Amino acid sequence: HHPHCSPPITPTELAQEVKAFLSGVDPAHGTKLSAQDHARCALLLLRSLPPARHAVLQHLRGLFDDQVCAHLLTRDTSGTTGTTGTTTAALEEVVQEVRHVLADFIRANPKAWAPVVSAWSIELMGQLSSKYAGRPGVPHANSLNELLQLWMGCPATRVLMDIYTQCLSAMIGGCPDACVDALLDTSVQHSPHFDWVVAHIGSSFPNTIISRVLSCGLKDFCAHGSAGDPLGTDKRVPKIASVVGILGHLASRHSGSIKQELLRMFHESLGPGRDQHQKAAVPFLLQLALMSPALLGTVSAELVDSLKPPVLNQLHQHFSSLPREELDNTMSIVVHLICQTSAGAHRILHFLVNTAMPASVITAPGPPLQDGVREACDRIIQLLLLHLQKLVHNRAGAGAGAAEAPVPRPVPFLDALRPHVRDLCLETLRLERKRFLWQHQLLALLAVYAAPHGATDALFHLLTLARTPDELALATQLHAVLSSCLTDLLPATVTTCVCQIHAGRLPDPQVAQLFRNLAAVVQADTGDGAPAMGPVLGPVLARHLPDLSQLLLHRDADVAEAACLLLSVLPLPRAPAPAPLLGAVRAATHQFFLVLRSQNTTSLGCSSRLLARLSSVSPAAAKAVLQQLVEGALRRGNAELFGASPDQPPQWDECGAGGAGVSLLDTNRRFTTAVNFTGGVWSVFHAGVIGRGPQVPQGRGEHPPEELTNNTQTFLRLLLLCARGARPGDTTTTIHPEAAKAIAAALVENVCPEAAGAELSWPPEEQARGTVERDLRICRRFQEHPLLLPLLRLVALGRPALCYCSVLLRGLLASLMAHWEGCRDAGTGASPWHLQASCALVAAMAEASLVPPVLGNMHELFPFLAPFEVHLLLLSLWEYLRDNGPFPQRFSFQPERGLFLRDFSRDGDVGKHLAVLHSVLHKNIHRLGLLAGRFYP
Amino acid sequence: MSDIRHSLLRRDALSAAKEVLYHLDIYFSSQLQSAPLPLVDKGPSELLEEFLFQVPKERGAPPKRLNSLQELQLLEIMCNYFQEQTKDSVRQIIFSSLFSPQGNKADDSRMALLGKLVSMAVAVCRVPVLECAAFWLQRTPAVYCVRLARALVDDYCNLVPGSIQTLKQIFSASPRFCCQFITSVTALYDLSSDDLIPPSDLLELIVSWIFEDPRLILITFLNTPIAANLPIGFLELTPLTGLIRWCVKAPLAYKRKKKASLSNGHPPSKIAKDSTSGEDRDCHQLYSKLHLSVLQVLMMLQGHLTEKNLYGRLGLVPFDHVVPLVEEINRLSDELNPLNASKEIELALDRLAQALQVAMASGALLCTRDDLRTVCSRLPHNNLLQLVISGPVQQPTHGALPPGFYPHIHTPPLGYPAHAAHPALPAHPALPAHPVQTFIPGMTFPYRPIR
Repeated sequence: HHPHCSPPITPTELAQEVKAFLSGVDPAHGTKLSAQDHARCALLLLRSLPPARHAVLQHLRGLFDDQVCAHLLTRDTSGTTGTTGTTTAALEEVVQEVRHVLADFIRANPKAWAPVVSAWSIELMGQLSSKYAGRPGVPHANSLNELLQLWMGCPATRVLMDIYTQCLSAMIGGCPDACVDALLDTSVQHSPHFDWVVAHIGSSFPNTIISRVLSCGLKDFCAHGSAGDPLGTDKRVPKIASVVGILGHLASRHSGSIKQELLRMFHESLGPGRDQHQKAAVPFLLQLALMSPALLGTVSAELVDSLKPPVLNQLHQHFSSLPREELDNTMSIVVHLICQTSAGAHRILHFLVNTAMPASVITAPGPPLQDGVREACDRIIQLLLLHLQKLVHNRAGAGAGAAEAPVPRPVPFLDALRPHVRDLCLETLRLERKRFLWQHQLLALLAVYAAPHGATDALFHLLTLARTPDELALATQLHAVLSSCLTDLLPATVTTCVCQIHAGRLPDPQVAQLFRNLAAVVQADTGDGAPAMGPVLGPVLARHLPDLSQLLLHRDADVAEAACLLLSVLPLPRAPAPAPLLGAVRAATHQFFLVLRSQNTTSLGCSSRLLARLSSVSPAAAKAVLQQLVEGALRRGNAELFGASPDQPPQWDECGAGGAGVSLLDTNRRFTTAVNFTGGVWSVFHAGVIGRGPQVPQGRGEHPPEELTNNTQTFLRLLLLCARGARPGDTTTTIHPEAAKAIAAALVENVCPEAAGAELSWPPEEQARGTVERDLRICRRFQEHPLLLPLLRLVALGRPALCYCSVLLRGLLASLMAHWEGCRDAGTGASPWHLQASCALVAAMAEASLVPPVLGNMHELFPFLAPFEVHLLLLSLWEYLRDNGPFPQRFSFQPERGLFLRDFSRDGDVGKHLAVLHSVLHKNIHRLGLLAGRFYP
Repeated sequence: MSDIRHSLLRRDALSAAKEVLYHLDIYFSSQLQSAPLPLVDKGPSELLEEFLFQVPKERGAPPKRLNSLQELQLLEIMCNYFQEQTKDSVRQIIFSSLFSPQGNKADDSRMALLGKLVSMAVAVCRVPVLECAAFWLQRTPAVYCVRLARALVDDYCNLVPGSIQTLKQIFSASPRFCCQFITSVTALYDLSSDDLIPPSDLLELIVSWIFEDPRLILITFLNTPIAANLPIGFLELTPLTGLIRWCVKAPLAYKRKKKASLSNGHPPSKIAKDSTSGEDRDCHQLYSKLHLSVLQVLMMLQGHLTEKNLYGRLGLVPFDHVVPLVEEINRLSDELNPLNASKEIELALDRLAQALQVAMASGALLCTRDDLRTVCSRLPHNNLLQLVISGPVQQPTHGALPPGFYPHIHTPPLGYPAHAAHPALPAHPALPAHPVQTFIPGMTFPYRPIR
């Protein structure tokens, strides 16, 4: 049955064939024609009876339908079984014949055949795919690939596809619009089931299909859209919908071509010599984008880049001729599209803001932008913000109102801006003209939209990046906006801050800035009625005490100081857990000494204030603070600040390792603050890094005497401050007994650890010789640390705390006595330290009421006496103390004065202890007569 | 009629169409019996339009459409009807009531159906239908005839490869139809643009027909009672003018087409170039052949005109059609660069000159040489044409020169067929000796046709 080898048919035979074709009956035998014979008959007519071609094509529809049906049946029964198999094969053979015939025709005269045959084949494919859509074994319309596999495996549809492809490729050089139009029409009609055809053809002829589909769509859009008839709009939607559907299929693989084509369409539409179609291109493209997020996504990013001043001016010119209503409509479409854009959202924002309100009044080189463009962009931004607000707040409202609405509507624009929160914050903080108001508003919307993380991030960035009070105000304003609709905002923000810091994501200067900003916010005055951030922020921050306090020991002093500033303004919690508190105390103390060393007055103030506040938290805290302070002050390194001689051989754990100024103690201190070791047996210590070279002795710090005095005064003032801390209302200079006791204990522990548990009572003077070595060591400690004596004096103020220093007093007294006993100088002035120490010791004991005032005044005589006389006097003091042991129970609390006082009248007669004193007075009466009055009770 | 309509309304589209045909047959048969020339009233034609051409009578009523299979069935039925209707007059009247254009919106489907019917009749060789169609072509305005021609050409020359053979066969079945078909085809393809150059298959078909029997061209003319003045807007009696146009314009039109395809930025691939140039060469030969046949027919014409007593009264090649032809040649040769197309222009003008000369000589073209001179004055120079328009030396005082006298200053031009100068005299022995121009008062024929 090939056209070239069949003999020419006579008219009579042809008439017979027509009859057979129409009736379906074999004229010779009168039997019914089989499907394939009938089809062959049809093909014969197709080749020799031109006017019958439409009838033949219509008949062949049935043939293809039968073939599909048979194919599906065979496929279901899995294999060629019996008659169905043979019919399938026979049908397939005829289908192939049809293909050959049509292929020959198309090859011979594509212009005449391609439009007819392509329309026929595409329509038939549409019908078949719709018809068999629901059948078992036919995959759902969603699974495009399976569908494609099924239909391309079916001979009938495969042949149809081949035929269409041939038509299209035959017409591609000329004018494929007829073929593409058929495709669009069918796609409108059989949309979901027909998608496989579109997908296949589209991927076979991507460029043609893309450009033609677009141009056909545009033509259709113009035809129905520009007339403005009410019926037209109904019609327009489906055709453009199928354009969208087709491009949507292609978008996954050919987005580049699509993008190029769309942009080309856009730019061509702006040219000067444009026709009616091109004028409609912009509305058309907007409509397309409106209907397909995928297309919008492919174009939007690049489109913005191409919107240069000339293009914008052209656009403006184009739109300025439109009526107001249409303009508003376009504007709202644009705003809607921007909301739906995700790719390049940040760039779009940039573009809009820059165009509407350039950062600088100096215009860029190139053609100037018309004012209308600026106004339009300004309006777009305002509408955009309004629209976003509506979206964000409706969304939030719906979420709160209806619990069953689990998926809130996403706003791609905001989603895409999420990663750019920091950039947005930076831009806002520039406070440029009107822009920052928009940016701030957008930031707030973004924060609400992306809550909770978005909100906390935004606030965090603002707090971190702000440098001036004006900039910081943006953060508080943002909080004011957000706090009305978001709960738990500040805790989350603070947690974010802490996490960011500890993850090391912030450079040191920013950490410092953040702390200063936080401190500023906490301290800020609640000005007008706005919900203030400070009062809320303080307690929240205080919850992170351990995290923050650990930063007091930050290697960057600036950070440490800022942390100190922040902590010093925080309201500390009422009853914090001991461990973190202790950590904080330890860190704060250390920081204090560091600051003291650096002689920075303001930071010193902060540091002191912090310690004072810490100590006011609880008695235990105060105790810890005092203990740490004392311990720190006596430690090597710090001790030099108070005049201790640095030329002691360095102990192993306190020496600096290498020139980097790294101290193992420092390292371990930081370590333990962070990890919170309990300090048990299992503690692990950092032992330094091996291989940093030999240890270099610490350079001797040269401190001028004024500085030493100043330091000592500062330290003592701080101690007093802390010691008073438990009773913050008290303004007297008195020191709390408990605090004093803590200092006393700390002193004992640091000066002579092995004597910490020693008895308070005094042994006979002879027995003191048993502890002579210890006493000497105590004395040497006092000698090394000039700070110790003022400390004793301080303890003495808090009666009866000095009792607990009994062992130190004893040791020091014994050593001094031994010195004076052995001293062969004429006057006490020859050993100035011992003189000073003796005086201070006695004065302290007197102050502490360990000895009665008569005895306590004796130190006034010391400078005028001979050493042995001093020895005698001290010995009498010893005797007194031996008789009247320095026990706290000898003191009684005087509520009216708020003090512990000792009533010496209850003790034994002091007279016998005064004998030596009096005799010394007598002996030197010529010199000491003036003072005698002080020694007679 | 209205009760018939009601019964038809209940039927499906195909059987309603069949019924209409049936009723029409009865109606006209009875009418013809009562009166020899029945008046076609509006009733049947309305029925036809509603049920055969599916033009809805009431507004908004959904038309019953025949699908293409049903349409094919209808065509078959119609073919068979015309075949089986023995009475020629009934056939004719039914055909014309079916397909005479009425100037309403049914005309489009009417013409579409006619095209299919004739096309089918060609394929299955239904002579009565073809005869009816030939008759229809004669009495229908040319615009409709051209549409039918286009439908047939599309079917047999463009769409189905090889089917031109089927069309070729009807030469023997219905020469009358062939003749009308040629006339309508030459009216359609006037070579005024590249699209209106006849397809080569068609050209070959027509040339083969005419070459086989040149008298084919004259069949309509010979078999039709001639009214003295032909109505305007209808096909001409013979395709002579159209064929002359083809032969004369062809060299220039093909040249223009070639030039256009080159300048359009389609540098032809080697194979395409070879095939098209080969095809063009074939075409040129065909046109040559055709030109010869046309000249031969023109030569024959004198006898037939004389026979019908129309010599000098009926211009089968009207001067009114020669004028635009000359203008077109003028325009075309201006359009083509004379330097590049000198050969083509020469050929076209040669053919024009020959055709004019022979047509004038045979009495088919009725005009004076002065008229010709005016018309041809702006054409590029051509020796032969110069000779033709200057004509023999005028000796108006000696009005009765023997026919065939030529002043001896002329030598016959090269390439002019030797026998064309000496027409087949024996074929027309009964020509009147007296000049014919005396029949048309006020017209003088300075040139006397040869006997």
